[in-house]
Amino acid sequence: MKVAVQLFGPLAEQAGRTRLEVTVTGSTVRDVVAATGLKLDPSIRFALNTDYVGGEATIKEGDVVSLIPPVGGG
Amino acid sequence: MFKVTTDVLSLDEAYAAVRRPGCGAVALFVGTVRDHHDGKKVTAISYSAFKEMAEKEFAAIAREAQQRWKLGAVYIAHRTGPLKIGDASVVIAVSSAHRASALAACAEAIDTLKGTVPLWKKETYVGGEEWIGQGS
Repeated sequence: MKVAVQLFGPLAEQAGRTRLEVTVTGSTVRDVVAATGLKLDPSIRFALNTDYVGGEATIKEGDVVSLIPPVGGG
Repeated sequence: MFKVTTDVLSLDEAYAAVRRPGCGAVALFVGTVRDHHDGKKVTAISYSAFKEMAEKEFAAIAREAQQRWKLGAVYIAHRTGPLKIGDASVVIAVSSAHRASALAACAEAIDTLKGTVPLWKKETYVGGEEWIGQGS
């Protein structure tokens, strides 16, 4: 299954891109994150579409997984 | 109204959005760009966002505030893109029948926003730059 992954803030800057697409055989957000090959700090949170989720959340075709570095609004 | 925008934020818009006949108080919080951080002189600042999720999170903050306090209305707007020193980066307006609820809800809303909403700030100093994380 193909899933889009969005990168933001410092992660996007480090990767030099804001979006990538990965092919995964598993069914969870954690599987998607592993498929990116990115080494992520434990402070990174995940979002499935527009909701925060844990790594165990189930994905389906067409979903967008976002990697959320520590936020800094305000 | 909840929005993430590259436009200049309007205090008049925020005030107008929450005024209600039954409300005797409007609390307004404005976050502005500071010229220093950790002893360093800030020369430029830029915010980025996951806009769709951030606006949804703003609505969730407002919903929770409405449940906890007796409020008239809640307005939250955050600016993105390059900002200058002194520019407003975030505006929150809350109305309620009496001042205590409006003030408390407004304070709580900005605290929650800083900890949860997918927005990022990059500060440029004389001789360097840094992404500013949660709680700053």
